[in-house]
Amino acid sequence: MKPFTTSARRLAALVLTAATLATAACSSSATAGGGSGTDPVYFGVSSATTGQYAQYGQQFKEAFDLAVEQVNAAGGINGRPVALKYEDSQSDPKQSVTVAQKFVADKDVVLAFGDYSSAASIPASPIYTSGKLVQYGFNNSNPAFTEKGTEYQWSTSITTTANYQWTADYLKKQGVKSVGVTYLNTADWGIPAFQAFKAEAEKVGLTITDAEGVLDTSDDYRPSLTKAVAGKPEAFVHIGYGPDAAKLVTQLRAIGYQGTFYGGQDEKSFDGTPDAAGSIIAAQFIETSTDPKVKAFVDAFKQKYPNEQHVTLFEATAYDALNVAVAVAKQGGPTREGILKGFGEVKDVPSVIYGSITFDPATRRVQDPRLTPTILKDGKWVEYKTA
Amino acid sequence: MLDTLIAGLLRGNVYALGAVGISLVFGVMNVINFAQFSFFGLGAMLAWFFVAQLGLPFGLALPLVIVICAALGLVINLTVVRPLAQFLPLAAMLSTYAVSQILDNASQIAFTAEFRVFPQVLPTSNLHIGNMRFGTSDLVMLGVTAVVMVAIGAFLKYGKIGQAIRATAQDQEAALQMGIPVGLVQHVAFVIASALGGLAGVFIALYVGVANPTSGLNTGMTAFVAATLGGLGSLLGAVVGGFVLGILEAFGIHFFGDSAREIITFAILILVLIVRPGGLLGKVPLISTEPLTGTFLGKGRPLRVPRWAWPVALVVGGVVIPLVAGDYVLTTGTQVLIYAIIAAGFTVTAGQAGVMALGQAGSIAIGAYASALLTLHSPVSFWAAIPIAGLIAAIISSILASPIWGVKGHYISIATLGVGTVIVAVIRLAVPQGIYGIPMPSWGDTLLATPRAYYLIDFAVLVVTLLVMWRIRGSHLGKVISSVGSDEVAALASGVRVRDYKALAFAVSAFFAGVGGSLLAHQYTYIDPTIFTMLMSLLVVTIVIMGGVSLPYGAVVGAIILIGAMELLRFTPELRIIVYGLVLILVVRFRPGGILVRNS
Repeated sequence: MKPFTTSARRLAALVLTAATLATAACSSSATAGGGSGTDPVYFGVSSATTGQYAQYGQQFKEAFDLAVEQVNAAGGINGRPVALKYEDSQSDPKQSVTVAQKFVADKDVVLAFGDYSSAASIPASPIYTSGKLVQYGFNNSNPAFTEKGTEYQWSTSITTTANYQWTADYLKKQGVKSVGVTYLNTADWGIPAFQAFKAEAEKVGLTITDAEGVLDTSDDYRPSLTKAVAGKPEAFVHIGYGPDAAKLVTQLRAIGYQGTFYGGQDEKSFDGTPDAAGSIIAAQFIETSTDPKVKAFVDAFKQKYPNEQHVTLFEATAYDALNVAVAVAKQGGPTREGILKGFGEVKDVPSVIYGSITFDPATRRVQDPRLTPTILKDGKWVEYKTA
Repeated sequence: MLDTLIAGLLRGNVYALGAVGISLVFGVMNVINFAQFSFFGLGAMLAWFFVAQLGLPFGLALPLVIVICAALGLVINLTVVRPLAQFLPLAAMLSTYAVSQILDNASQIAFTAEFRVFPQVLPTSNLHIGNMRFGTSDLVMLGVTAVVMVAIGAFLKYGKIGQAIRATAQDQEAALQMGIPVGLVQHVAFVIASALGGLAGVFIALYVGVANPTSGLNTGMTAFVAATLGGLGSLLGAVVGGFVLGILEAFGIHFFGDSAREIITFAILILVLIVRPGGLLGKVPLISTEPLTGTFLGKGRPLRVPRWAWPVALVVGGVVIPLVAGDYVLTTGTQVLIYAIIAAGFTVTAGQAGVMALGQAGSIAIGAYASALLTLHSPVSFWAAIPIAGLIAAIISSILASPIWGVKGHYISIATLGVGTVIVAVIRLAVPQGIYGIPMPSWGDTLLATPRAYYLIDFAVLVVTLLVMWRIRGSHLGKVISSVGSDEVAALASGVRVRDYKALAFAVSAFFAGVGGSLLAHQYTYIDPTIFTMLMSLLVVTIVIMGGVSLPYGAVVGAIILIGAMELLRFTPELRIIVYGLVLILVVRFRPGGILVRNS
């Protein structure tokens, strides 16, 4: 009997210690005051630093850190430096909701960025809303993030709907008559994007010879691709991300299809895929642009991270997001209420993606986002000009 | 059609290579080796590193990758798997899951999570039959697979250690008595399997074109299905299973689309298992014990919970924590509680009936969707929706799982994993858009949407769940279910309809999974199919094993540790998953039967 009771006691002690640790961890952050003077202004970042989406978490972090450095060198927010609190959610809703709660409870945090995927962002939204903390889903292209959200959800990402309507119009303008399509069969992204594309294609008279839903977790797309090109379409459209497009375009060429590929993403693995050369997409950010704002950002980024050969839309998105947040905090004041007010008021914030950003308060997204046709040449996206 | 056939042959080749390693380890150790999946990703990343970064020729890089993977395999077997597999295959399986987490994340720290373009070492589209183009690269892969298979086949047939491997696979104890060094044999099998995993990883990357540290997971899973399809432990079966699955998948995708891939894969598997419960070439076991039963329960050192612990736990969990804790702890608490409910319900299946079902995510998803749709489109309230969601989950899961109860042992795990995956895949096809604006719970006009309210609701449901489980255990029904788990043959001989009781236990577990899913849906207010993953099913199983497989309250301890630890480890963001894996291994090492076990 004796060993049992001692081990039970040990277990009880363990549980108690764990509980104390947990409450201590929580209360220490909850008791900190609002702060003023030269205390830093804190923004929370909920993103994936480990797991399936860690690649994007790393890219965001590099750009955020660069932007924070620049903002602080230029005097911060009315003399107060900016600092970030990162929390890893693995882009998993089970963890993004606890991260949201952590930020809401931490009175120092005046704004939260994230999450990466809509499936992690949207479940966290009610927590941010009830905590009256603005959730800035700077990467959430799913229109539902803001449409189904409240005044506390804002985004500077262009919606998938707008992006692929533009693509259908552009194809028509280029004189393309028929396309084969693959799209990611995902609820939060691919399906709404494909529906927007299809509706627009019908409107402008672009024939879709065949459309195949695919999954980004698949590795072998050959069976879907042989079917999608069986009707001999003039061009091919893939509605998806970078890594899946890299696999897909390689296999599309391997099965012998030669038409132009409209798809992919400004993302490292796609940019580096030999068969991806010549792909055309609607770009928001062009690394090779001659815009002085873009040049300055790209140069500063490469100087800080000499190992990085490319600056993609992901870094640009995060860089812009931090600058927008700072502009918003300057406009409305570095408090939670001030941030909410600021989002509704800021105008013409300089942006490396859109030139300048002004929000449409009705949609809580960027007003008139511009898109430019770009083509992938030698691993870099350049503006595609047609005669 | 010819195009599709060739595409199927090429993907089948990759599956076959992966399946052989899985089958080999299973044959000699009776352990499902999750770490094998990590070797796919690791092999690909190492090859990328050697060729693209260091500029080594592919001919040198390939053997290097194989040697490194083989050496790593030996280390893993020496330190983690074998010490546990000797007496508790299940604990060993849990530890291989931990090892795979560590390997994936170490590889991610070393190579970053980025998708890398895999160098083209051989032409990939210089040949063609009809419209279908393929390359020297594909031919070389097919050739290498053939050579490797013949070599391993010859080794097993004529080599001394090879023969010992076969003997060990047939009967470990008899082999030991005949003087076969079983330990050595297991090391050799593990090393070969790890090397093959690395090789398969390189081939996957060559075939697909890009790779990242976790990109082997999906192909690995399918290779695992292929091994089961062919008959676990049968090498020829693994090869046949790989090619059969590859070709059928290719035709299935051609006709039904890539979105139906998982449905096709598992439908094939379940059909084969219904007709041949031991796989295509495996032997149908005459008498087999479920992996969770018999000696497993007897081995653990029990940790008895004193009587006073119950009221204390009730007061601490139901009164002290909700009063003292902040919102962050309470929100973490809700996740712990919901998983505890699901896992406590799962102990009837895993612990009492002894069925290691792996597809709980399916039942959770049914509950979540049923509850969300009911409250959105009918006047049913949140409170009524919870039990209804549970019932619907129990009914649908039972119907879908009903054909598979003749399947035994590890095959039932894979078959139930299949059922769960198919459920989620069907939901993805039927309701592809996520569901938004699921109503939050309310009482009268009061909205109960604070973390404290969620916590208290979940806590109350957990208490009810534990009471129900306690009543079931004490009842005649519970004793019958337990008899099925502890000795199936004896139960059958005593006239117990074993199949029906397993199905009943599964239905009870599905009910609580559905309840848990409903609670999750109303707290997130948004659900889509990407939430209900295989990792969710694995988490439920891990919680149950961690807590002591047949103890409902053990599931609570398991949930606190496994979900709480993820949060507590936030102080070391980079190493979080690795430390998590180490903690898991240590717990399994020192309490292999679970934290709380009860002697049978």
